[in-house]
Amino acid sequence: MPLWFARGLRRGVVTTRYPARSDPSAASLPTPPAFRPRQLTVRAVDQMIAECPGPALSRVAGTLVFDAGACTACGRCARVAPHAVTPSGEFELASTARPALIKLIPILGDQR
Amino acid sequence: MKPGQPGQDEPTAAEELRKQIAAQFGRSLHIRTLDTGSCAVCEQEIRLLTAPHYDLHRLGFFFTPAPRHADLLLVTGPMVRAFEVAARKTYEAMPGPKVVVATGACALGGVYQSDPFVHGEVDAVLPVDVWIPGCPPSPLALLQGLGVAVGRLAEKTPGLEFIDGGGA
Repeated sequence: MPLWFARGLRRGVVTTRYPARSDPSAASLPTPPAFRPRQLTVRAVDQMIAECPGPALSRVAGTLVFDAGACTACGRCARVAPHAVTPSGEFELASTARPALIKLIPILGDQR
Repeated sequence: MKPGQPGQDEPTAAEELRKQIAAQFGRSLHIRTLDTGSCAVCEQEIRLLTAPHYDLHRLGFFFTPAPRHADLLLVTGPMVRAFEVAARKTYEAMPGPKVVVATGACALGGVYQSDPFVHGEVDAVLPVDVWIPGCPPSPLALLQGLGVAVGRLAEKTPGLEFIDGGGA
């Protein structure tokens, strides 16, 4: 019996489940944006929509519609409004319903 | 909801299918990958799953070259129209119960719009059960997606708002 196998048995190391803690490299992955509603203005949002290479961003009146499924985490929206957009750090986004990936972000920056 | 009302059967059937999938796929599952016109970066990430670092096999997932042996169809790409027949045949060749997983932003409709060359999303042709976003989805995201597909992991998406409260 190989030594590593015996050690694993003795310590009771579980090797057959999903990782309990995330991969160290996960921190450097590009991730979809998270928005700061109070920093978002209609003007900035429209600029972000113009810069977005896909259909991930759209605006319905005072709400930003963000489709996380269509997002390629390219970071263009964050470049347009760095104060209002930050990386979300979320990448485990699998969903059993497509609409669950579409998020509504209120635009509150114009109300001041 | 009282029994006999319309729409009653649907959640029950869905719940039964979920239980069936958990019972049948809970331990071991064979995956057939299907490239419907992707740029091949999704495939690179899928290939990384078998590397020792992620070691897909320890979780009971295996890749199979034949759709007839597959339980899960891992579809990448925006579903080019030229591939539609092949995609349908692949799906039909799989034994039931079967799961279709759309992988990557292309497959979810995030890169190409529907036009004379592509459908723009996998759901237009195959009944998708699980959507895995990402361009490309990292191996960890794929692992989580596979876990969600077989009911071993809870999905995180409904709880996410993509709102950053800091600095408000």
